Amino acid sequence: MILLEDIIKSYRGRPAVRGITATVEKGEFVFLTGPSGAGKSTFLRLLYRAELPDGGRIVVNGHDLVAMRRREVAEFRRRLGVVFQDFKLLRRRSVGENVTFVLSLLRVSEKEQQRRAYLALKQMGLQHRMQAYPEELSGGEQQRVAIARALVLQPDLVLADEPTGNLDPERAHELMELFRTIHYQGTTVVVATHDRALIEAHPARTLVLEKGKLVRDGWGITQ
Amino acid sequence: MSRHLWREVRRQLVESGAAGLVAILLVAVATTWGGVLWSLHRYLEAELLAPHRPATIVAVARTPEAAEKVRGALLAAFPTASGEVAAARTVREELVQWFPELSTVLLGLDEASFPTLLQLDVPVLQQAAVAQWLTARTEITLVANSHDWEARVQAAATRIAAVGFALAFALLIGCCVVVLLVVRLLVLAHADEIAIMRLIGAHERDIRLPYLLCGFCLGALGGTLGAISLFGLSLLVASTAPALRLAPGVLPVLPCTGGVAGLLGAALGLAALPSEP
Repeated sequence: MILLEDIIKSYRGRPAVRGITATVEKGEFVFLTGPSGAGKSTFLRLLYRAELPDGGRIVVNGHDLVAMRRREVAEFRRRLGVVFQDFKLLRRRSVGENVTFVLSLLRVSEKEQQRRAYLALKQMGLQHRMQAYPEELSGGEQQRVAIARALVLQPDLVLADEPTGNLDPERAHELMELFRTIHYQGTTVVVATHDRALIEAHPARTLVLEKGKLVRDGWGITQ
Repeated sequence: MSRHLWREVRRQLVESGAAGLVAILLVAVATTWGGVLWSLHRYLEAELLAPHRPATIVAVARTPEAAEKVRGALLAAFPTASGEVAAARTVREELVQWFPELSTVLLGLDEASFPTLLQLDVPVLQQAAVAQWLTARTEITLVANSHDWEARVQAAATRIAAVGFALAFALLIGCCVVVLLVVRLLVLAHADEIAIMRLIGAHERDIRLPYLLCGFCLGALGGTLGAISLFGLSLLVASTAPALRLAPGVLPVLPCTGGVAGLLGAALGLAALPSEP
């Protein structure tokens, strides 16, 4: 599902990721953790090709991201579900439009867009807020809309960058349960978080980054 | 995509606000101006300066008898020509009709002060030969040819049209620049949103199309306003100068021209959009 070989990435000469080699198999649930500045976000940005590495090879869903052409990037991203810490909802669009937008990119019929958006939002308990705008929602609700948007295309791989960063602990655990459910349904999930308590409460394979290097690859945080 | 697309275009038109309104008005002015020029140009070409129109030649004869003699000889030499002699009295009466404010002066002058005129209508192709023939006659003192003033009118009309169309073109360029700025402002205002759209799998065409359509709509709205203004102007002018009509096909061309100008401006404005790595 994901293959990284000796990935190097730096910003203005300052290394962010240094020689990371790792694989994630289809159907795995993986935590990516480490202190702030360890390179977690860069690692994820490389996976959804928001960045290109300075060296190494990245293969996601069978696509070599370094060799990928620009015009292929959009199609590639449609096979991913990406959840961001700051939600990245389209502010000028309603909740329903945020979710149907990705479906409209695939030229899905209006009726089908509405049906699938309703189901995705219902899964998040937000089907009654379809007409609301993101600013009218709480942080937790916005994050659930973002997840509904990420899942509405039924992606093979979900990447979440600090998805609980703006949520209180109770909401964070609810969200993790949601990711677990998605995982049990067969989706590969990679969650970047610096919240050790969250990993302890939901143990899974954990990649630990420090100063851009992969320093540990094992089960849970305490091993 | 269609519902999202048109909803987005509508949002952008609303968000373009005062700048968008300026763009619409500028396109309206440019297209109205262009339509007026085009119609006038067509009118001059088709009505006043038509190549099939007969040329008018006016010759001053020394005496009424000389005028009659020359007329007879001319009609024999050029059977396609036609004409008549206007005696000095007739010339004076016509002048009084044209310039009634000078009637007292004109009627006070001796009849001998007015010339006897020979007025001729000849085919355009023969006008030079007829004028030359008349000039060579000793009974004729002066020959004036409508072709001369028509050529001057044509030269002046060509120069005015060139300047006018250049101005209309400059205005359209101005429209492009205003639409460019409007689209650039929208792109800057939506930079975060565009980045998000890319991250969730939007193609460049999905991102750019609403902006292009917004530019097109601004231009087409301006062009439509221009066409309405031009139609209104033509109705106003019709009562005083019925011969002055709109050039055929000018009304539908104006919204299209505005739309193309808007589209071009939007395309240039989108050049500011950063691309994927």
